[in-house]
Order: sequence, then C-alpha cells, then structure tokens
Amino acid sequence: MAPVIQFTDVVKIYPLKSGDVTALDHISFEVDHGEFISIMGPSGSGKSTLLTMMGCLDTPTSGDIFISGIRTRDMSDIELTNLRRDRIGFIFQYFNLFPLLNIIENVSFPQMLKSQAQVDEKKAIEKLRAVQLDERLYTHTPLELSGGQQQRVAIARALVNEPDILLCDEPTGNLDSKTGASIMELMTDLHKNGSTIIVVTHDPHVAEYTERTIRIVDGRIAS
Amino acid sequence: MSGIFWEISKRNIRIHMLRSTLAMLGILIGVVAIASMGILGNSMSQSISSSLSSVGDSVIVTPYAGSGGGGPGGGGGGPSSDLYLTDQNYQKIKRAVAPNVAIPVMQKSAHMKVGVGSDDIVATMYGLPQDDIKDLLPDLEAGDYPSGNSACLVGSTFAKDHNVKVGSRITIGQDGEYGTLRVSGIIKERGMSFDISTDSALVVTKDWFETAFDTTDDELNEVVVKVSDGDTADVKTTIEKQLNRNTKDKTVTVTDSKATLSSIYETFGTVTTFVTAIGGISMLVAGVSIFNIMMMSVNERIKEIGIMRSIGTQKKEVMSMFIYEAAIIGVTGSLIGGLLSFGGGYMISAMMLGTTEYIFTLASLYYVAEGVGFGILICIVCAVYPAWQAANLNPIDALRHE
Repeated sequence: MAPVIQFTDVVKIYPLKSGDVTALDHISFEVDHGEFISIMGPSGSGKSTLLTMMGCLDTPTSGDIFISGIRTRDMSDIELTNLRRDRIGFIFQYFNLFPLLNIIENVSFPQMLKSQAQVDEKKAIEKLRAVQLDERLYTHTPLELSGGQQQRVAIARALVNEPDILLCDEPTGNLDSKTGASIMELMTDLHKNGSTIIVVTHDPHVAEYTERTIRIVDGRIAS
Repeated sequence: MSGIFWEISKRNIRIHMLRSTLAMLGILIGVVAIASMGILGNSMSQSISSSLSSVGDSVIVTPYAGSGGGGPGGGGGGPSSDLYLTDQNYQKIKRAVAPNVAIPVMQKSAHMKVGVGSDDIVATMYGLPQDDIKDLLPDLEAGDYPSGNSACLVGSTFAKDHNVKVGSRITIGQDGEYGTLRVSGIIKERGMSFDISTDSALVVTKDWFETAFDTTDDELNEVVVKVSDGDTADVKTTIEKQLNRNTKDKTVTVTDSKATLSSIYETFGTVTTFVTAIGGISMLVAGVSIFNIMMMSVNERIKEIGIMRSIGTQKKEVMSMFIYEAAIIGVTGSLIGGLLSFGGGYMISAMMLGTTEYIFTLASLYYVAEGVGFGILICIVCAVYPAWQAANLNPIDALRHE
C-alpha cells in the first residue's frame, strides 16, 4: 500500500527582493496510513510551509509530493482543489468556521462541495456526535460557541468527507490547557479508529499524544 | 451545491443590510431614471403621432419657392403664399401619377361670421373639387358632404369653438360680400397634417371658391396625390422627373409624407435615446457603487475565501458567491425601480406633456424592461472583477489574512 504522504527531495524557495529564502531544503519523508505524527520546530523553521505542501495549497520548487500515491506536481488547480476536498481534512488554530452558517451547515459544507447537491444532514450529525458536541448547539452559529466547541465543529467538518489525512495546524494553540487536552484526546480516539493525523505544533505536550515527531530546523528534517 | 453559496450570499446581504440597501437604492434610481426618460420619450412620440393625421399615403406638391412658380403670383423668391401651381402643372401631375388621384387645392384666409350678430372670425378656407372632397377627407363627424356649391364642411375644432352645427350658416367676408354657406357636415378631427389642416378651417367646393374669390385654375396652392397604387417615394420621383426637368429652375417642391413622418419618428427616437442615455449615467454611477461594495465584500472575506479554497472550494464556486450577491442586489433594486418608474414616468409626463394617457403602453413596458435588464446587467458586470479577484486569491495568503 502506497504511503498516504510521500515527500521526495522537496525544495521550496520563496523568491524575495532581498534574496531567495529556502523554506524547505531537500526534505524527504513518508507518512503511512493510520500514523499519528507531530511536526515540531522553532518559528521560521518551515513547519507551516511543510503543512501547506502536504495540504496541496502550494507546489514545491523542486522534488515530488505524492498524496495517496497521486503525484501532485502536474495537477491542475481544479484537480488539486478536488484532492483537498476529497482526501484531506484541515483543522486550524483559529477554527476558521464560517460565521454565516450554523453548525450543521458548517460541517456539511465540504459534503456539499463534493456531492454538488443538497446533502443529507445525517452524516454531519454523525460526525458532530463523534466529536461529542452537545446536540442543542447544532443550529447555533459558530460565534455562539466556546473555543473548544468550535474546534470540535472544525474537526467534524474536517472528517465529514472521510479524508485519508487530517492536517492540523496548532489545533490547541488557541485553547486553554484543559480544553486543549480534551481536543488531543479526541484526536487520539480518531487515530485509534484508523485516521491518519499530522499535527504541526510547537507545544511538546501536544507532541506527546503522537506516535512520531518530525523535527524541522532551517527547512531540514533534524530528527 | 450552488445552494450553499446562494445561501451565503443572501445571508451576507442580510448582515450588511444598510450597505446592501444603499446599493439597491443606487440601482433603483438608475432604473427609474432610464425607464422614466424612456417612458417620457415614448409619450412624446405617441402624443405627436396621435395629433398627426394618417397621411402616410400622400404626396404633396407645392410651388417651388425659389422658382417664382408658374402663375400670377410668381416673380421669384417671394413667399410661398404668393406662389401658385398652374392648371398645366396639375394636368401633368395628374397624368404622371395615374391611376392615383391628384387633388388640386386652393387656399385662402377669409373673414367670416357664424349666424347673425356674431363676432368676426378669420379662418382658412380650402377649395377642393366637389368629387375629390371625399377622397381627401374620408371621415365626417356629422352631416354629409356638400351636394351643391353653397354648402361647406367645417373642421371639428372650428365647430366646437364657434358652436357650429350641421345646418348652421356662415357668412363669408367682412360684410358678407362673398356670400353665405350652409354647413353640410363636420370633419372628424385630423390633427396636424402635411396636406391640409382642416380642424380649424372650412372646406368649400372649388367652383364656389373660384367664383367667390375670383380666382382661376392657375392659382392652385398645392396638389395632393393620394397614393393607392405604388410607393409614395416612387410617385415623388415620377412627379419630380416630369415637372423639375431643369435642375436649375425647379417648378415644384414634392413632399413624401411617409418619408417626412418617418423622419419625425426618427427624430423622436433619437431624442428618446438621448434622454434615456442621460438616465443611463445615473446607472453607471450605481454600477461604480456596486463595484465598490463588492470590493469591500471581498476584502472583508479574504480569510473566509482562504478557508473555502483550502477545504476544496473551486475558484468558480467562490466567484459564483459574489456574482449571486450582486445579482440579488441588482434584481431586487431593478424590479422595485421598474415598478416605481411607472410613477416617475407618470409624474414627468404629467409635468412636461400635460398628459399621462401613453404611460401604460407596450412601448413604455419595453423601456421599463430595458431599465430593469440594464440594472441587473450593470450589477453583474460590476461584480465580475471583484469576484474574479476573490477566486484568484492565493489560498495561503488568504488564510493568513487578519
């Protein structure tokens, strides 16, 4: 079985007026199905660039990236967008829910993109139950929810299309330690149920929940 | 799928109600301006056309003002009232236009009195061959055509103004020196016309006219050709060929009433287009405001766009969201504007034309539809660039946007 994510000698250079900046410097690694990985490193080490590359939001200057065996280099914007929609779930530090939509609609949103039609809300409700969100909140808007509740909704939204990978960018960075711990326990449960999860964090407590840690320093894998 | 973007657009308009309402107001004003001006132009055109009699089938031949005519009044370059067509001219015209009917017309202003002891009136009198009166004036409001030389027809306005009825007697001349005429019929209102204007005039037989005013067959003011066979333009050309053989010394001026009428309508069309275009300027201003609002909407939602793109929303779907928003504003503003423009057109027409009877016509509806369509189109066109910009934002930059 092909790795869920495979980076082969990936280089990412940002051309700036003041000179080129190498964000990723010949990175190679693989993530297998069902792994729970954290990516750590100091600020400016290339963690976020790595995440955007894994999320197909950016393309490498050189090298190849494979998502579920699919080489992303030659894909069009439409194909990359569909790849993100169908195979990748994003969880952000600031939750990034749509304030104009209620909780059910937020969770159903990726499903609507995929099905190109009105969707059955059952699946969204199933995912909201999986992240243990109080049912009374389903018709509320995101701004009426606490940070922890919003992050649970964001996780449900990331899961609704049954993606191959969950990419999490500092998922507990905007939560208090107790809520952050509950979110990480939720992720651990998801991992036990077979989800592949990659967490970018600078918090060693978060990294403790994961099975493997990739450390990035100056755009290179340090360990 | 488009349902969710439609829903987001609607909700975005709702939470920015004041801003959206102002944008709708701009479009509404633009539509009202365009449609009202169009309705006004149309009302003007209809108002004029209703006051023009149906003379689309006539060719009018008058003495050429620069030639000196052919008759006693000649002398070259004098006022047209002193110029006449001769009987010879008439016979040539008659032969040239056959089988169409050529009607010689004599005209004179005369003093007259209606009944006994009434005020002196000055009115135009037309002398027409008795057999041709019916051809030129087919519609009577009351009475019948003159059966003898001492009978006349009067125009509807003349009859109304001077309380003339069928059977009334009119004394011609300041002291009645030209005799007395009995009114045999009242001519139906014809409005402005290119041949003879009968509404405030009297029509008598040519024989009576010649006897009373001591004129001859060589003192014709005009010849009216009623074209029933062929095209008026062809008849005009034929007459010109026959009577204006020498281009330096023309005998007659030939007017094709159909061409004149179409030229008048063309002029009104141009005026309508011009005033509508002035209304269009306000629509362009509204379009700029829509553009501005859509740019604001995009700038406020950069992060939201970044999230959408990162979780799998296609560029065209992002675009559609902004286009829907502009379309909702455009359709709502334009439809309300369309309804209000009937009121606007009503007020402007009442103030400027003094009549509102042409407001609810098919042509007015056309201008309302044009205004509404233009309003919607402007909104959508003005949203295309902001929507395109939103769709083409770099997802990473958009996600990092604060």
